[in-house]
Amino acid sequence: MSVATTRRGAQRGRVPLAVIALLAGLALLAALPYLLGTYWQQLGFRALQLFTLAVAWNLLAGYAGQVSLGTGAFVGLGAYAFALLGNATGAPLPLLLLAAGAVAALFAIIVSPGLFRLRGLYFTIGSLALAEALRILMVNLSTFGGASGIVLQASTPPFYALYWLALVVALVAGGIVVALLHSPASLALRAVRDDEDVARQMGVRSFRVKLGAFALAAFLTGVAGGLQALKLGAIEPYGAFGMAWTIDTVAVVIIGGIATRGGPLLGTLLYVALGELLRDLPELHNAIGGLFLLLVIRLAPQGVWGLVTGRWAQRPGLAERADG
Amino acid sequence: MHLPDGLTLLQAVVSGLLIGGLFALAALGLSLVVGVVRIVNLMHGELVLLGAYVAYGLVQATGLNALLVAPLAALAVALLGWPIERFVLQPVVRHGEEAPLLTTFALSVIIQNLLVFLLGADTRSIDSGYGATRLQLGGVSVPMMYLVGFVVALIVCACVHLLITRTAFGRRIRASAENPGDAAVVGVPVRRLYALTFMLAAGVAGLGGALLGMVFSFTPSSGVEYLLTGFTVVVLGGLGSVVGTLVGGLALGLVESFAAAFLGDGYRLFVGLVAFLVFLALRPAGLFGRRA
Amino acid sequence: MAEAAALRVESLSRRFGGVAAVDGVDLEVHAGEALGVIGPNGAGKSTFINLISGALAPSSGRIVLFGEDITTCSADARTRRGIGRTHQIPRPFARMSVWENLALAARHARGGHDMRSVRANCRSILERTGLADVAARPAGALPLLRRKRLELARALALRPRLLLLDEIGAGLIESETRALIELIQSIRAEVEAVVLIEHVMDVITACCERTAVLASGRLLVVGDTRQVLASPEVAAVYLGTTDAGSGQAEDAAARPGAPATAAAALLEVSGATVNYGGVRALRGVDLKVRAGEVVALLGANGAGKTTLARAISGAVPLAAGSIRFDGSPISGLAAERITARGVGHCMEGRRIFASLSVEENLLLAVPPALRREAAARLEEIYAMFPALPAHRHKSGTALSGGQQQMLAIGRAMMSRPKLVILDEVSLGLAPIAVAQLYESLARIRATGVAMLVVEQNIHRGLQLADRACVLAHGSVRLAGRPEEIRGSRELRELYVGEDAGA
Repeated sequence: MSVATTRRGAQRGRVPLAVIALLAGLALLAALPYLLGTYWQQLGFRALQLFTLAVAWNLLAGYAGQVSLGTGAFVGLGAYAFALLGNATGAPLPLLLLAAGAVAALFAIIVSPGLFRLRGLYFTIGSLALAEALRILMVNLSTFGGASGIVLQASTPPFYALYWLALVVALVAGGIVVALLHSPASLALRAVRDDEDVARQMGVRSFRVKLGAFALAAFLTGVAGGLQALKLGAIEPYGAFGMAWTIDTVAVVIIGGIATRGGPLLGTLLYVALGELLRDLPELHNAIGGLFLLLVIRLAPQGVWGLVTGRWAQRPGLAERADG
Repeated sequence: MHLPDGLTLLQAVVSGLLIGGLFALAALGLSLVVGVVRIVNLMHGELVLLGAYVAYGLVQATGLNALLVAPLAALAVALLGWPIERFVLQPVVRHGEEAPLLTTFALSVIIQNLLVFLLGADTRSIDSGYGATRLQLGGVSVPMMYLVGFVVALIVCACVHLLITRTAFGRRIRASAENPGDAAVVGVPVRRLYALTFMLAAGVAGLGGALLGMVFSFTPSSGVEYLLTGFTVVVLGGLGSVVGTLVGGLALGLVESFAAAFLGDGYRLFVGLVAFLVFLALRPAGLFGRRA
Repeated sequence: MAEAAALRVESLSRRFGGVAAVDGVDLEVHAGEALGVIGPNGAGKSTFINLISGALAPSSGRIVLFGEDITTCSADARTRRGIGRTHQIPRPFARMSVWENLALAARHARGGHDMRSVRANCRSILERTGLADVAARPAGALPLLRRKRLELARALALRPRLLLLDEIGAGLIESETRALIELIQSIRAEVEAVVLIEHVMDVITACCERTAVLASGRLLVVGDTRQVLASPEVAAVYLGTTDAGSGQAEDAAARPGAPATAAAALLEVSGATVNYGGVRALRGVDLKVRAGEVVALLGANGAGKTTLARAISGAVPLAAGSIRFDGSPISGLAAERITARGVGHCMEGRRIFASLSVEENLLLAVPPALRREAAARLEEIYAMFPALPAHRHKSGTALSGGQQQMLAIGRAMMSRPKLVILDEVSLGLAPIAVAQLYESLARIRATGVAMLVVEQNIHRGLQLADRACVLAHGSVRLAGRPEEIRGSRELRELYVGEDAGA
């Protein structure tokens, strides 16, 4: 009798409700372009893209325990791969997005033997240095357009198409990660996170586990980068490889709740809402986001999701899981 | 890529070494925080940057010579360091290894964006008073400020070195860096020491920033560059000794200078980062070799 | 014969810097047997297990598991070849549930990784280790005893051929020990061989046919358990009677200023309980030290002596109970505040700072109140230990073991403490060095400072003592005057186990 069964059993009365809510939500999301104008479609695109990044980072940092500050590197790689391959081959969009993700994943695989020699905090700093190095390199390499970047030959699709594309990507990303976390692989992942040495003593091939998580996160991040290239129609290194990607992603996940199921979603909603409130003052938005990040780390390490579910767990009949 | 001639190379060596002194100064604070207080300080770059901004502001406001203003900038940043360590960092240490790291990350984001919000994103640089004066040594010519910066950096490093090796405070720092638990049992007030050390580190970083601001221009997003420079110096030179940091700084200065000479100025930082990554992968003991 | 060996280690060594924690050990574990591995503090037992499990790589030597050389195999590769181990301090995956901890191991078990066999495996182990009722709880929330069971359960879930148990009996009370022994005996049939590292002799005598004794990294003897435990050599290694002094007469004469029993208590420990490293290291310990008195704190390895010392000096928090010094409570204060109040602690293992010179190590310990007299105090300490001044500017760890110990004691004395705690000062030193050390300690005692002398070595511990106290399993078992303790038969049993010599 697994834990999952216990939980489901206790929540039998609640299951239909959750499923209904989920389906309703999905229907609403899909129908959004019919209900709201292009401004909201753009905002929706941004939120879905951020959600994809958050899901990927949550997997890598929250469940595999590798805190990376190199999100920008993979967004940039994905964006450039999408643009270059698009210009060179004119392949259909979904294929290009997959390719963007694949290039990012490939890069992750190539650097992992070196990068994973760095444990814990070294990995974090190393990932930061890697992202910066890549950015500077791309600024200087004229083959990739140098500082002025690349223009996409294909025309930019209308906003509603971008929105739906982002929706599909976000759903697939969320789906893959949820499936992964419910699979036996999730045990190995969290074991490596909690205590890598003991995990290896239990027979876990920790390098492969870390590599798998890293490659998958890189893939999803790269796809998000491809979306960005598609949306902008032209990319340049400062924006594509910029720190802003990392900052936004980390803030979203930690505020939402790292290593929790609902963290990425909740964090995205809060962060985007905050961004809308401070629409005219983007720096203030970032600064306040940083402040929230600080407060969450100090006062609610499990994030807002953790706060919310913590209170709900007081009710009888809910099996308490350590990983939210 | 082009092959520079002998004179250009010599020029690269000299200017690289001189700049390297400033790098060492900028990295010294990071070495102290990581090695003694045991926090990976991702806001170090912003401390350096704040030094530059405060110095800039003071020069604009008072018209005093930039070099006179630099110690004041250092003091300002040092004073800012105390509440940060005491009220923001100390309380999260118990939440695990990543909590202080992410907290400093958050602080760096806050400071960066506040700078943009309040002062704008324009590129600035501090008028050092030496203008375009260059120092001529044989066929080699370097800006006067490089030499001035180098000398100041050397003096400050020497002072910090003496502080650490000759005073009671320095004894306590070294003991806490080696093993804070044992140091406490022997009677060292470790918490208070951490706060003071952070202040010292912030002050040195601020001074480094003020000087760097006279040599290179800066924007609110220059913090990352200073941070990575700092980490590169620390990894190259090893943690825990001022001499090591100085050597690391000089080494990095040379590396970047040669990169500029052979590959062009745009690759200066890139090569530095590659050096950092390679050293980090090969010698992680260089960063945390002193951990008990 | 070689084929019947479950495990064979040949000339196995592991050095840390200049010190050999394990030094040229040759040992064989027969198929079907349970081998005990015992030895005093610092013998290298944990290093030994870490070398076998793959957590550490050897400096030299070979390890052969069921005929296969695994010396260069990684930890996870060794697990796949049939090794399962528990850790001395339980290390569960705290944020995963008990069930998930087992399921993870079961998925890497030999034979049968599909979900059904994993589930069956886990269910059966949960029943047998008594953890079925907490299957859904996060492992980090388990109480200490349950965590130990989880360690064992998780190792069993791997379906190991060779099971390594690292001090699994530590910190348990008698009823818990009995239950553990039954559990170990019940799983014998499932594994091909077991190696038990233990201090708890009851577990060794009940479970192990043969026992090996390690001392200072070397294998002293291996053989039938009863014979080994009864051997006088082994007793000597534990009780420390190899450097027998000239006897009691010397001690009685050297005790001029024994304080009147009516003197007030300087240090009062009441009901001290400490949970340390997943084990209940102290259970309700009471201890009193009066001003000027010398109290010896004795006990076998793992009894809780050092934990008590560290609790007094503030390095380790109390889970329950209180500690009062000089009339005011000190438990909960930061270590440096307790030192400032007059408690000096010469720590186990000396803990000299390598990055400071001898003189700097001493000066470090000068409290703010004594700053002006620092130089004078330094000279006093140098007078107490004349071997030190010649090396005053050398790194503290560049000295010999005996000199470092003197430095450590001198450092603890720099602040003119009212009470000085001396934790295992004779550890790892040659008899001559120990004799010199204790001469210095006698001089220190003559200055009237109270001393708490923690010693494994009974003879030395009792040498200076006005009173003595013996700990076992975290509580006080014997207390009284040195003469009473020395002759007690219980003492030997506490160190080397019951019926060992009978």
